[in-house]
This record gives sequence, C-alpha cells and structure tokens, in this order.
Amino acid sequence: MTDVVIAGYVRSPFHPAHRGALARVRPDDLAANTIRGLIEKTGVKVDDIEDIVMGCAFPEGEQGFNIARLVGLLADLPLNVGGITMNRFCGSSMSAIHYAAGQIAMGAGDAFICAGIESMSRVPMTGFNPMPNPALAKKSAAYLGMGDTAENVAKKYSLSRADQEAFAVASQQKTAAAQAKGAFADEIIPFTLPDGTVIDADGTPRPETTAETLAGLKLAFDQQGSVTAGTSSPLTDGATAVLVCSADYAAANGLKVMAKIKSMAISGCAPEIMGIGPVEATRKALKRAGLTIEDIDIVELNEAFASQSLACIADLGIPLEKINLDGGAIAIGHPLGATGARIVGKAASLLKREGKKYSLSTQCIGGGQGIATILEAQ
Amino acid sequence: MADSTIKKVCVIGAGTMGAGIAAQVANAGVPVLLLDIVPKDGVNRNAIAEGAVAKMLKTDPAPFMGKRAARLVETGNIEDHLGRVAECDWVVEAIIERLDIKQNLYAKLEEVRRPGTAVSSNTSTIPLAQLTDGRSDAFKQDFCITHFFNPPRYMRLIEIVAGPQSNPDTVAMVRDFVDRQLGKSVVNAEDSPGFIANRIGTFWIQAAVNAAFDLGLSVEEADEIAGRPMGVPKTGVFGLVDLVGIDLMPHLMASLTSTLPKDDPYQAIARSEPLIEAMIAEGYTGRKGKGGFYHMAKGADGARVKEAKDLKTGEYRPATSPANVRGSAARGDLKTLISAKGKVGDYAWAVLGPTLSYAASIVPEATKTVVGVDDAMKLGYNWKAGPFEMIDAIGAAHLVERLQAASLPVPDILKQIGEKTFYRIEGGKRQYFGTDGAYHDVTRPDGVLLLEDIKLTSQPLLKNGSAALWDVGEGVVALEFTGKMNALDEQVMKLIQQAISLVKSDYKALVVYNEGSNFSAGANLGLAMFALNIAAWSEVERLVKGGQDAYKALKYAPFPVVSAPFGMALGGGCEVCLNADAIQAHAETYIGLVETGVGLVPGWGGCGEMLTRWIENPRHPKGPMPAVSKAFEIISTATVAKSAHEAKELGFLRQSDGVTMNRDRLLFDARQRALAMVEGYAPPERPEYRLPGPTGAAALKLAVDSFRKQRIATPHDETVAGELAHILTGGDTDVTEVTTEAQLLKLEVESFMRLVRNPKSQARVEQMLETGKPLRN
Repeated sequence: MTDVVIAGYVRSPFHPAHRGALARVRPDDLAANTIRGLIEKTGVKVDDIEDIVMGCAFPEGEQGFNIARLVGLLADLPLNVGGITMNRFCGSSMSAIHYAAGQIAMGAGDAFICAGIESMSRVPMTGFNPMPNPALAKKSAAYLGMGDTAENVAKKYSLSRADQEAFAVASQQKTAAAQAKGAFADEIIPFTLPDGTVIDADGTPRPETTAETLAGLKLAFDQQGSVTAGTSSPLTDGATAVLVCSADYAAANGLKVMAKIKSMAISGCAPEIMGIGPVEATRKALKRAGLTIEDIDIVELNEAFASQSLACIADLGIPLEKINLDGGAIAIGHPLGATGARIVGKAASLLKREGKKYSLSTQCIGGGQGIATILEAQ
Repeated sequence: MADSTIKKVCVIGAGTMGAGIAAQVANAGVPVLLLDIVPKDGVNRNAIAEGAVAKMLKTDPAPFMGKRAARLVETGNIEDHLGRVAECDWVVEAIIERLDIKQNLYAKLEEVRRPGTAVSSNTSTIPLAQLTDGRSDAFKQDFCITHFFNPPRYMRLIEIVAGPQSNPDTVAMVRDFVDRQLGKSVVNAEDSPGFIANRIGTFWIQAAVNAAFDLGLSVEEADEIAGRPMGVPKTGVFGLVDLVGIDLMPHLMASLTSTLPKDDPYQAIARSEPLIEAMIAEGYTGRKGKGGFYHMAKGADGARVKEAKDLKTGEYRPATSPANVRGSAARGDLKTLISAKGKVGDYAWAVLGPTLSYAASIVPEATKTVVGVDDAMKLGYNWKAGPFEMIDAIGAAHLVERLQAASLPVPDILKQIGEKTFYRIEGGKRQYFGTDGAYHDVTRPDGVLLLEDIKLTSQPLLKNGSAALWDVGEGVVALEFTGKMNALDEQVMKLIQQAISLVKSDYKALVVYNEGSNFSAGANLGLAMFALNIAAWSEVERLVKGGQDAYKALKYAPFPVVSAPFGMALGGGCEVCLNADAIQAHAETYIGLVETGVGLVPGWGGCGEMLTRWIENPRHPKGPMPAVSKAFEIISTATVAKSAHEAKELGFLRQSDGVTMNRDRLLFDARQRALAMVEGYAPPERPEYRLPGPTGAAALKLAVDSFRKQRIATPHDETVAGELAHILTGGDTDVTEVTTEAQLLKLEVESFMRLVRNPKSQARVEQMLETGKPLRN
C-alpha cells in the first residue's frame, strides 16, 4: 500500500476566546494565514495540492459556507485546489488527516492540506441555533454538556479533585518550560492584526498556576463534583495545518518528511462518558499497527479535561513521562476543530526532536467517540 | 437633548467626588479626562486616577451606567497631562479642600486652558472670592463653584455659585450642561459658608444628635421621630450619619464654625459628644468602618442581628423597635407632631424648631429665595418637603409663637410673612413669598414639564382608584398610575381602554407617565393572592387576558403611545413600556421582567415583545434560536437593567428609544417624542414569528439542566423555566410555520394559569408579599 507521510506542521498562536488577542479575528482569515505559513515553510508546490480538508466543529456563521473552499481562495491558492469541510467535533482535523491518508492510499491525490479551525469567540460551542431532537434528548446523553461528561468520568474512575489539579499543574509547567525554551516558535505562524500588532505567541497558558490557586477555584459544572475551569481546557481561538502526502511524492519533491502514518482508528463509546473515547480507539489503532502500548514512545493525548485524561492514561497503562511533553490542551488550549491536526503534527515533530520511533495521538469526542493515529518516525 | 457647547470635560482630583463626577460626565456620553497627582512611589504615574476608575467599576451602587461609559474616561496625571486641559471645554476641580493647593492648581490651569474654557470648583467650604484671589480677570470671568453631592450619579442636587465677575454666559453654559446632560437640578447659591443644603443639613443633624443626648432618647427612637414623620428618609439622623461617615461630622463642624460669623446660631449648638469622639477614634465610623450607631452583629445562631449604640453606656445592644413612639409620631401632621406631649413632641420640636428657624434665617444670605432653600433640602437630603413648605404646614404664625416662647431667634422673613404662607396658588400658578414682601411665580426651566404643576390648575380627564388621565398640553394626554407602589390592576386596564376612546376622538397622542417614587413595580400581587386563596381561577385568567387586551389596544391604537419609565419599571410596569410605540426613559430606570422571581411568567405580552426586540436587533445572530435564547436568558433570570443604557443592551429599550438625564425633563421629552410621531402615524404591523417549537425548548431545557447541576437553578426554577421556554419557542409550532402574536399571547395565558395553580409558585407570591424577598424553592 502507498505510504502516507506527514511533511509539515504549523499552527496559529492559541488565545483564549472572548478575552484573547484573536477574539476579533475572523476564523477564515486566521486559517488562511496559517495555511500560507505551511506552504511557505514546507515549500510544497501549490499546484500539486489536491484538496484542503478543513476540520471544524461548528461550521456555521463565519465558519460556514464550506469554509475549506473559502480559505483556499483567501490564501490565494490555485483555483484547482479543492476544499472540503469535515466535522467530527473535537476529532475533526484528525479525521481530515485520516481522510487524506485514505485518498492518497486510493490513488486519489498526492498532497493534501489537512487543517483545522475554531474561533470559539465568534461561533459559540453548540452553535447559534442548537435544535436538538427532543426525543433523542430524552432517551440518550447525546447532547449532554462536556463538563457533565467530565464529572461522570471523574466519578466513575474515583478521580479526586486534587488528582485532577496535580495533572493540570503539570500540564501548565510543561508548557511554561517549553515556551521558555522556544519550543513552539517553530510551529507558530504569527498573525498580524489590522492595527499592525503581531501575535506570535500563545495567550492561553497560565504559567503561574499552582495547586493552591487551582484549589481556590469554584466548581464549574456540578456543585457536588470535582471539575473546575482550571482542570478543563479553555475555550480557545486557533487554527492548525498539516501537510499530508504520499511518501513517493515527498521524496520526489524534496519535502522534509516528519513521520509516516502507521495506523488510524475510530471507536464510539457511551456519550455520558465520552472522555474515555481514546481507550478503545487506541486499542484498535495499536492492533492495526501490530504494536502494544509499550512500543509507543511519545503520546499526544488531548487534555479536554484532566479527569478524562487520567482515566484514559489509567485504562491504557501509559507512563506519565511519555504524555504531552510540551504540555497539553489544559495549558495550550483546545480550539475544537483545530486540535486533532495539532496533536498529530506535534507528535510527528516530537518524534524528530526526541529521536523516538512510534507516537500515538488520540482524543475524545463529544457525543461519545474516540480517535487515534499512530505515527512511525522516518 | 439640546446641543451643548461642552464636548469634553476634564476633572482634576480622582477622589470619591472627582471620580464620581467624571463617571457621570461619561454616563452622559461625553468624553472626560480624569487627572490626579503622581503617586510618590511606583512606576505608573497615572496609578491614582486609574485606580479610581478600577474601584468605581466594582462599586455598588455603580457610578457608571454601563461599560460603554467607563470607556469614555481617560486617566492621567497633573504633571504630564495638565496641558491637555486645552482640549476641554469645562474643567472641574475636585481636589483636597486646601486653599493653597487649589490656588496653586488654578495658577497652572490659567497657563494651559483655552480662553473661554469654564473652570469650576467642587469645594463645599471655601468661598469663591478666596479661590480666585490672585487670578486674572479672564480666569475669574470663566470661574464658578459647582457643588455636587455624593454620590454624584444618584444625588440630584447641584449648587452653583457665581462670583461678581463670573461671565453669565459661561455660567449658563455650565448650568445647561449639568442640567440637561448630567441630569442635575441646579440651585443657585450665594458665596456664603457651606452654601445651602449642607449648612442647613449640618445644623439639623447637630440639633437632632444634641437633642437625643439631652432628652435621653435611644437612636432608634430619635430616628423614628425625625425620619418619616418629618418627611425625611427613614434612616433619620443617626442612620444618615452612619451612611455618610461619622468621622465626617467633626470636619463639617470645624469648617462651619471657622467660616460662619460668631453670632451665627450654629456656633451655639456645635458641640462634640465624648461618646462620638471615642467611636471615631476606635474606627466605628459608620457603615464604611467597623460599625456606627447601628451595626449588624452575628447572633448566637449565626444569624445577623441589628444592634444599636446605647447613647448612655456606649455599648451595642440589640436594636429595639421603637413602637412606643411610632404610633404617636406617625399620627397627624407636623403641627400635631411638634405639639405632642412627652418624648415625641419634645424631640420633634427640639429638632424642627431650631432647624426651621435657622433655615429661615439664611435667606437671602445663602440663596435669594425660599424656593432655593426648599429645593436644596428636597434634592440634597431627600426631604419630602422643604423647610418653608414645612413652615407652611405648621403655620408661620404658630411657629413664631413657639420660637418666641422658647426664646429662639425669629428671623426677619418669619416676621414679614405674618399670617400668610410662603407658597400660594394664584391664577393657576404656584407662587412664593419673596424677600421684597411680594409673591412671585415659581418658574421652571425651559423643557421642564411636571404633572405636579399641571395638577395645580386642572382636573383629570378620567380617573378611577388606580389610574388617571391628564391633559399635558399640545394635544397629548398622560396616563398616570395612582395605586400603591403604582401597582397595576383591573382598574388601570379599564382606564386604558377608556383613554384610548377619548384620545381617538379628542387628542393626538398618549404618554404613560407618573411622578411616584417608581414608575411601577408591576401587577398588584396582593389582589392576585386574594384571588388565589379563594381559587378564583377564572378571575385570575380574566385579569391576565384583560391586561393583554389593554396593552395590545395601546400598541395598536391609531395614535402614538410613548412610555416614560423612571426608577423601577418591573413586570407589568415593564410590559406597558414594551408595548408602547417608543420609550423615553429617565437615565435612572431599572426595568425588567421579574415574574419568574414569584414563580410566574410575563403574562401581558412581555414574552413576544422581548422576542421581537431581539429578532430585530441587527447585531444579534439570525436563525430560529438566538433571539429565543437571549429572551429566555433575560426573562428566566429576572434580569433587571441597572440604568436606561443597560436597558438598551438588554433589549428592553430599542436603540431608537430616548434617554432623558434630568428627571424633571422626562414628561416634556416624552411628549415631544410622541408629537414627533403624530404626522403620518400608522400603528405597527402585527408581528409574525418563525419559532423553533419543541426542538428549541429541548435546547433550552439542556441549558437549565446544567444550571440545576451548578445549583444556580432550583427545582421550581426548572418548572418555571420550562413554561417560559414553551412560550418563547412557540409551543408546539414548527420552524416551517408562522406563529402569530395572538398565539403567543394565548401561550402566555396558558403557562401563567398552569403556574399560578402550582403551590410552589403560590408560596413564592406569598413570601414576596410578606417579606419583599424572593423565595428560592
């Protein structure tokens, strides 16, 4: 079968929704700027790009009208480059990569831009017009708020508030250390605001976070629960882009290959504990790759909430030191549709940086799903 | 609102007064530069002014009327930014009360200000002549005193003192601005110590405190007698001193004793009590300190208990209800009060006798007319009647007898008035007694129209027990609510229907307006509860439908209807505004649909009107849900706007609705707004809605579920919110269908009737009636 590789990864700075530097930036502009950055960085020939596959969890308002196509036009890509918007909530842009990999394997193209976008400032989570099916709302937890699912997981796995806070503090510390070392400089495409201000760093991290400050926060979802804003990923504005192509195309065009896609998987789970989605998805992906969890050197596990992260880590038996080396979504942020491509791109770059062989990128998805991607260093 | 020549203001001094004045300028939509000194330490040279703005954003009651106002205040310091005074048309100085420091600042201002820029001081104690000593003639011409009261947003009085050299045009420009833009009522004061309100007020407080100690009254007894029975806010004197700060008393005393002549009657009564000195020394400075004459202590069971200072022992003890004095003090008029036997009469006279005599003695020294004195006390101290109005109530001749008998001074004007009264109605005009011995018309500034004045000369066109209709000139009528708290009932609805027939045939437009303390607190819950107790469901339903019919008849009447709310406009009081063609609101309007607080939903068209407003809002996202969600959020949480500006943000007012800053100008502005709509007037089209139906209700239910888990919503909140969601989403409609206004009104009635039969809603109504506080069941 045709080998599919990751040949580039970039993202915009991530900023907190509503109060951050990107709140007044249109998501299509942010995504177009990020994609231009990817093209410049990788040197991919724009005429060869088959399609832009854009993950977006709430594709309406400024993210509506098939934003993938519009972003291609905004980024001045040739007219022949297509655009498709994909929605699997938080898994959207990881699915974009999976879709591209499948297309390449089928011989339906050589090079794809797999991107993700979410302005949680400008398009609210749930969208502008949430209209759930009343009958389904009654019989299932399909529409349950994400915070409530995090509480359910915390209860099911008997995760204390202190456990969750320790995990969140560690995430913040890893991100702070990475930021101090300049570990994100390579992946961030700066964005210039209309007034000329250049945004070139994340606004989401809170390096001052300690166990004490977190212990003082109010409970966010259930007054008898354990989850706070400090142990949840923040609402975030951000965009990501990954270049996915066939190994042959990369070699023929002198592209810098970061990693090869080894296996991919999707698995559904109960909506009320959607946070454990990564467990079954990872098991399927490992099986398809012919690997065990011990073979994996680098894990990018999306930290939607500390509770679900800890539950997945426990169920899969992942050593903590392999998890999210530069911190995770609790510190960096979680622009829903953009996160999947970030944790695949990040895993690829960490394989290179750390000189390791296999990585796992996995995340939970609202409504009850998990998604996973295993990469192999090249 | 008239165009003012003041487009930008600079306030120097970011203390409570300066910052508060800057906030009120910003509330008027005028940019303001707020400067203070550079702090001794620290790197941020603007820290003091910035800190003042930051503090105001957290202060309750809020100095700002909205977030937009706060953005109009620019901060700086007098070392780096005084030159920017040249950008401003008016400079208000509100720095420390030290003559040398003020003079020093004026010398600098003289160099940087543009010629013609007005400069005023907010001094409360320093004479104008001393302030401008050494300044150029040009500076003196542009200078006056503008004495605001604390807090500047909420206190309506401003005393303006012009000097002999002040340019009348400059003073007029400032006066016009503070009146129309800042909404203050101007009283002209002379350049005399303490001006008017504080001079009388300080005397009054001193007399009341002295008498309580001398006659052996408790603070509760003193406040009971010197409060409501005298037409004074119920805080009385000790409660008031707690509010403004006990430590302020010695400062006021020192200032007045040093500036008033030695033979001024105040000098004789000024004295300090060792008990009060000790309280100040120990930090018991009132509400801002550890406590005052009253404070809230934690009782044995953890509940908060009100305690009062025992003036004999100096210890706190549980506050008592002064029932012994309440009955006799509340009975009868002022004359009866000061003549009563025993403690009540003795105390009332000991406070009122000297105070009224003193107030009468400062005309024309402090202000030229008795009207100035009365206005100052009514606006500055919230007295129901001014000193001269009180004297009229007692009878001047009787007062003189009592003063003579008590060997108290009888001021000239009291000798002059003889058997006459200080006010009279002549030829339909209210007149006052001048120092020249003649009567003169009480004049109102241009653009001030008061029902109070109209009532002096005319009879209502229609009237019943709960409402009246008045001809307010130019073919416009005013609908006035007259019930207790301006509560709305069947009588009001009946009068609305009668008024519509009358206006159709004889008038051009209708304004909903009154001059109570509040516009309306909503439907008469007491009547409703009575009907509930006897399970008169059909009566309740008739009341709800009758209200809908009346309000919609107003909405679709063939003439313009303008509602003019002020103060509280809640529930049905809000809905009468929502159903009008336009709203002209006083800036201090607290409007909201608060029905859910008593376990009900808006029943007089409020739901549909709020939907319409959010659907029409061009900046709000489109689709079947956004307007529904917003209206649901606002109504389900019983959100009340804290100003007319905030009411616009919440959609109770449309962007096109008007805001009047000065309460006295509200009726005039509302009438003009109505008249402007008369030509070519056509009633609004009946709205048609595209509502999401059960699918939208399911979305709202998900949100309420999560509030339940966060313990923000109670179980009964969930029930009430469910009914509200049912109405706002159009009941069983579908997004492909059109929902009419009539269908929404029907949904309102059905939900209202289901809730009103629910014992938990009834418990909420009952508690509200008994305690005034919502029940969270």
